Amino acid sequence: MVRAVRGVLVECDPAIKSIIVNINSENNEYIIEDLDDSHLVVQENKVQQLKHLLDQRLKDTIMEPERDSDSDRDVKD
Amino acid sequence: MPVKRKASGNVAGAAKSGRTSTVSTPGPATPKDIDSDEESDDVVDDTQPGEEQIQNAIDRFSLAHYQDKQVRGPMDNASRFFGHGRRDFSYLPLKPDYQTRPIWVDPQRGRIILENFSALAEQAKDFLITIAEPLSRPTYLHEYSLTTHSLYAAISVGLQAQDIINTLERFSKTPLPESIRMFIQNSTQAYGKVKLVIKNTKYYVESNDPEVLQKLLKDPVIGPLRVQGTDTIKLTAPTMVGLVIPGTSNAAGVQQAALRQPDKQQGGASAEDAKPEQAYQALGVDDDDDNGEDVHAFEIPDTAVEKVQKRCLDIQFPILEEYDFRNDDRNANLEIDLRPATQIRSYQEKSLSKMFGNGRAKSGIIVLPCGAGKTLVGITAACTIKKGAVVLCTSTMSAHQWRQEFLKWSNIRPEDIAVFTADNKSRFPGNTGIIVTTYPMVTQSGKRAHDSQKMMDFLTQREWGLMLLDEVHVVPANIFRKVSSQIKSHSKLGLTATLLREDDKIQDLNFLIGPKLYEANWMELSEQGHIAKVQCAEVWCPMTTEFYDEYLRASDRGMKANLYIMNPRKIQACQFLIDYHEKRGDKIIVFSDNVYALKEVALALGKAYICGSTGNSERMRILDNFMYNPAVKTIFLSKIGDTSLDLPEATCLIQISSHYGSRRQEAQRLGRILRAKRRSDEGFNAFFYSLVSKDTQEMYYSTKRQAFLVDQGYSFKVITQLAGMEQMEGLAFATAQLRRELLQKVIVDTESSRGHDDGDPTDDLFYSTKGRKKGVRRTAGMLEGLSGGQDMAYIEQRKSANKNLKKKPKESNAFFKKIAREKERLKSQQQ
Repeated sequence: MVRAVRGVLVECDPAIKSIIVNINSENNEYIIEDLDDSHLVVQENKVQQLKHLLDQRLKDTIMEPERDSDSDRDVKD
Repeated sequence: MPVKRKASGNVAGAAKSGRTSTVSTPGPATPKDIDSDEESDDVVDDTQPGEEQIQNAIDRFSLAHYQDKQVRGPMDNASRFFGHGRRDFSYLPLKPDYQTRPIWVDPQRGRIILENFSALAEQAKDFLITIAEPLSRPTYLHEYSLTTHSLYAAISVGLQAQDIINTLERFSKTPLPESIRMFIQNSTQAYGKVKLVIKNTKYYVESNDPEVLQKLLKDPVIGPLRVQGTDTIKLTAPTMVGLVIPGTSNAAGVQQAALRQPDKQQGGASAEDAKPEQAYQALGVDDDDDNGEDVHAFEIPDTAVEKVQKRCLDIQFPILEEYDFRNDDRNANLEIDLRPATQIRSYQEKSLSKMFGNGRAKSGIIVLPCGAGKTLVGITAACTIKKGAVVLCTSTMSAHQWRQEFLKWSNIRPEDIAVFTADNKSRFPGNTGIIVTTYPMVTQSGKRAHDSQKMMDFLTQREWGLMLLDEVHVVPANIFRKVSSQIKSHSKLGLTATLLREDDKIQDLNFLIGPKLYEANWMELSEQGHIAKVQCAEVWCPMTTEFYDEYLRASDRGMKANLYIMNPRKIQACQFLIDYHEKRGDKIIVFSDNVYALKEVALALGKAYICGSTGNSERMRILDNFMYNPAVKTIFLSKIGDTSLDLPEATCLIQISSHYGSRRQEAQRLGRILRAKRRSDEGFNAFFYSLVSKDTQEMYYSTKRQAFLVDQGYSFKVITQLAGMEQMEGLAFATAQLRRELLQKVIVDTESSRGHDDGDPTDDLFYSTKGRKKGVRRTAGMLEGLSGGQDMAYIEQRKSANKNLKKKPKESNAFFKKIAREKERLKSQQQ
């Protein structure tokens, strides 16, 4: 029997895809189908949640350099 | 917004009342605020004799103390963009001719912004470099910071507070803020008042101001230390009259005219032009010592010097150390002069004139970029002082280089300059000379070999005129304290290219050696052709999917690091760049901090490498090949090559792994290719690539690392894709299969801890070698197999390129030569 599942096609960098796969690996609830290096089909109702998790993950993995040395720091008030 | 508008209505009034409020409102932390007016003697009057409130004194030296306490409302709608209105300085009125004036001073933080495109910029720069520390010097706008240390340095070269204020006022677009004015006044009035002078091996505390001296004598710590039975004596301050720094253009003239008078006191006529043109002189400001005013001094015993120094620092009268070498007749003069043909460059002259500003030798640090001739500055200083000197450098190799340079640039007799290292312990025959040694040699604790102990005694029992400290930034404070307490020298000169450390220890040097006397502008030197012009680029290499998956999964920091360093795309980029530059005819150095990656990549690309564990003879062989063999265009170096390795041939530098966010390493590595190059292509003549794996921590570190060079005015071009890399023939790890194999290898090696960066013992100067155990590897196999019974033979697939480099044919024994000849003969007979 054929079973149809609604999904959203996600197109992204290989690096982002890796992160999504990594998020998914925890309990397999997002990805329906892994198409290729830069395409995925994910559960439609989980997209927002995934976006949120991805943002968090990006913050962890990619550290933002703090603002330019100390040139903008105020003197102690 | 009505509130804001109301506030902006009385700008002028607020500014005015703000000024008075600084004076009249006492700060909460300082019970006795200074009755500030322009006269400089208030500190002395203000403080009671005896126990002084140190906190009060210290507070006086922070700019925050002088802040205008007046709260001004936001000026206008834009105010909130400037630190929530706190840093909106639009209340400072502009002078009518502000467009021609080049600087602007931040009243809160003491930052000075300079318009480098202004017509007055050159003059202003000369001045600012004397009184402030350069923070950032890109093409158009420069930023300097006014700190107590920098003001201290300014005072030590003979400037006075009023001169500094007047000149700043002249250059500034706005009237000089009151907070800055007071900061300068109060910081400078204590600095430079007290000098420590060694005369006939006796230490004297000297001051122009008898009141300051009285205060010191009444101090509970310093007072009793004074040598009893000596009165405060009057001396006449020395002047720079007649002192000529050798190698300068004036030196030649004086020498001809005076036929080398031994004391050089004659030549007063040339004194005026013997002074190099310095900012403050050009500005019509006079050196105060020129008037020959009286100075007062009292004697203290040798043992108390450090105590006195420390106490003086506590009560904020830091002691300047000066050496009146021309009047020192106790220590023998050394026969040394620069060779007549030697001409020192203008910036070298400038830096030395700061050191010998008033005819005495001051202690301090001179900062010049790598390859800009630090050695020659050191040698010239030694030639000026003409007394015994100790040169301390980081390694045996550079110790020998220093000796060579001395012989090359000066006329010192070869026997008068000795090297003291582990395997060379010579001395000079006469009663004075120069000793070149290394930091580890003199600081080594524990028992020494008999002869090196004897040598140490020799060093410590003498009095030296000058101590030259090469690469002074590497010396930790405690080591340095040891050096300076053991070896008595009248003056100290530190040389470095990168006066910065990731820890805050660099501040210690200010007091251990002396203030920063001079810092050169990298961009200016490269414009003038003294150092190479460098094109910097950061190459972003995407992680391959397999590697990135693994990177995300890994929790261990070492594993993550190995993964982004060994990223196959990075290795490919490295290969591509090597190939590209080899075809251009460049000589390439590849730097990798990670020894594991160094070996793996060097093997994969078939290049020679040097790391800490490479033997000395092998090192020399590889370096010789790199320099003279046109077939060897690339070498891989670990961090042992970061500093003081002199490879003038190299024109291209690629770094594949580095020490986290170390700005110093980045700058030192760049220094390897800065030596001015003979080849003069148009535009850039040297290349610096930094390979970074995208989407990893490396990007963050890379940004941090570049900070120092960016502040020096370098710009990094970002390359996201190297055109033509995919099509390159023989590209390493071109297939997914090979990449997966590499990944497996990296993971296995890392886990078996072989891949962990096992440190590079020879890199760290003060590394204590703990015995490392060599692990035993156990493999299963048949005995007959191991003994060759199963048709197995040993072939090395990926041979290290190190081994292919030819050894020099050794002179063999006559016996073996004979055998070889016999063999040749038999061979030819058979054919």
